[in-house]
Amino acid sequence: MKIVKASVVLALGILASAGVASSALAADGPGTEKHDSYRFVVVPKVVHPWFDKVNQGAQQAAAAIKAQTGSDVEIQYSAPQSANVAQQNEIIERAISTRPDGIIVDLLDPSGNRTVLQEAQEQGIPITLFDSINPEGMNLTTVGSDFCEQAEMAANRLIELLDGQGKVAIMMGVPTAPNHAERARCAQAVFDEHEGIDVVATGVDNDDINTAQQQASAIMQANPDLDGWVASDAAGPVGIGQAIKEADKVGKVQLVGLDDLSQMLVLIKEGVADSSSASRPTMQGYWSVINMWQLATGAITPNHIDTGNVMITPDNVDSFVE
Amino acid sequence: MLRKAMGFMVSNPLSGVVGVLALIVVVASLLSENFLNSYNLVIIARSLAFIGMITIAQSMLMILGELDLSLGAIGGFCGVIGGILMVKLGLNPWLAFALCLVIGALFGLLNGLLVTLLRLPSLVLTIGMAGVYGGLNLVITKGVAITGIPADIGFLGSGKWAGLPVPFWIMLLFLIVACFITLKTPFGRYMYAVGSNLSAARMLGIRADRVRLGVFAFAGFLAALAGMLMVARLGSAQPSIGDSWVLGPIAASVIGGVPTTGGIGTPLGAIFGAAIIGVIENVIVLLGISPYWQSMVSGAIVVIAISLDSISRRYFKRD
Repeated sequence: MKIVKASVVLALGILASAGVASSALAADGPGTEKHDSYRFVVVPKVVHPWFDKVNQGAQQAAAAIKAQTGSDVEIQYSAPQSANVAQQNEIIERAISTRPDGIIVDLLDPSGNRTVLQEAQEQGIPITLFDSINPEGMNLTTVGSDFCEQAEMAANRLIELLDGQGKVAIMMGVPTAPNHAERARCAQAVFDEHEGIDVVATGVDNDDINTAQQQASAIMQANPDLDGWVASDAAGPVGIGQAIKEADKVGKVQLVGLDDLSQMLVLIKEGVADSSSASRPTMQGYWSVINMWQLATGAITPNHIDTGNVMITPDNVDSFVE
Repeated sequence: MLRKAMGFMVSNPLSGVVGVLALIVVVASLLSENFLNSYNLVIIARSLAFIGMITIAQSMLMILGELDLSLGAIGGFCGVIGGILMVKLGLNPWLAFALCLVIGALFGLLNGLLVTLLRLPSLVLTIGMAGVYGGLNLVITKGVAITGIPADIGFLGSGKWAGLPVPFWIMLLFLIVACFITLKTPFGRYMYAVGSNLSAARMLGIRADRVRLGVFAFAGFLAALAGMLMVARLGSAQPSIGDSWVLGPIAASVIGGVPTTGGIGTPLGAIFGAAIIGVIENVIVLLGISPYWQSMVSGAIVVIAISLDSISRRYFKRD
């Protein structure tokens, strides 16, 4: 009888252990880890209105997670005062020392940021990249759109407006910013494919509206027969638009802008710019936080989340005005 | 003993800036639990190392009554030259490193020659030279970083020794050298004489231009050293290196008791000034202060620090 009792107890014990083990396995599965609160640090390239929209999207995602799960999500937005890799690295390092649940970064230069990202990983802090490409040898989730596609959309739109014939100029952003350089390169490649299009000038605005205005004015002085503009950064087309207005060339010089800064939207509404090829910063911020939260719950996240580009025209501009 | 200690504090020109730094450290550690963790102290030391080298250079020039606003551009340009020598030309990384230090000294010397021979104000001239070095940097790189820096020199930028970053130790070494030169050698005494009154120094037979040339060259050397250490740290030669090394070192020197009018102060005081700025910038991020407020908060604290030091100087008559 004792042996039977002992066997029953042993069998129950084994069953109970198996049950505990299986439930533990379920709790340890991808995406099942729950925390009462999360703190994510967002580190953009620089203080800039475009990144304010990213921050806005990040805050929206934090509110959505709170509404759906009850967990508090704190977004700490920490931007370098200038677009300088060393300064951005210092901001990331300081973020690491506060031991957040994740860091969301827009890399100024993948090779220059690599060391500090590795430091974060060594400290066990997950990272999500937005608006950036992965540093060599790293496999972090990137959130964003295709820069080249964005520039190609703008260049093709301008060619369409000019019926495939005309003299155009490209405004570069910050020469050291890889995404600005890539957009300029891709726009140039599209123009090179069309024999009727002649790229007569390239300006550098350093992502600054006043500089863009000065450069655009000078280029239009030097090329009075210029037909159209594209830009490689968000500040560029705003400055170009002001220069077009000052030179009284609205309608004579076509402008296809970039991104959806409020000044850009006003230029489209005024008819100074035809349109703008825009990435979606709010969506990038939103999905970066969602990805970060998923990582914190133990989920396996995709290599890339494509937030896409959109062409803002007079027909749909109102839907972008806040 | 206590009276001696009090006497030392009252009479020492550095006691004000050290006191302000200690106060800021105490407040920072109370405000942020992460401030005193070892990782954070290491990153403060590392950022102080780079800006510290430029601060040492700028403070020595300021003792002379001069300024060099192209030091950041020299650092960035030398870093790019180093990248080209190591990656594109395949030169031995240590040789390339040493060559860049010489080139940096020559750039500094060139600035000094233009200031002394053409009798130009160093402030205006070096603004122009910053454009020249920064422009050449962009012409050569087209704004694109040079990657593939040999790992051999990585230790100089990223390594640690005795728990602290290697660049910090290198900065300390050159701080000792700079303090020795300024405080313990005839050359240093000439520096203070030239900075106090250039005409009087010349009348006393001091070869003022030689002194100025020597300091400009040393400043260029230190800027190149900071640039090359940053290249080693980043593992790539970024054209933007040095962009943020312009105004901070001047502010740090002034906070540390080296006025722009020349003739007084020490590189050691300037480093304490740089530490004050570094700690403030660090704790602002730790506290999660909005980036739109950061410059204002940081600037206001610097103004308060200078004011406290100035008031204490007048009160205790430490100058």
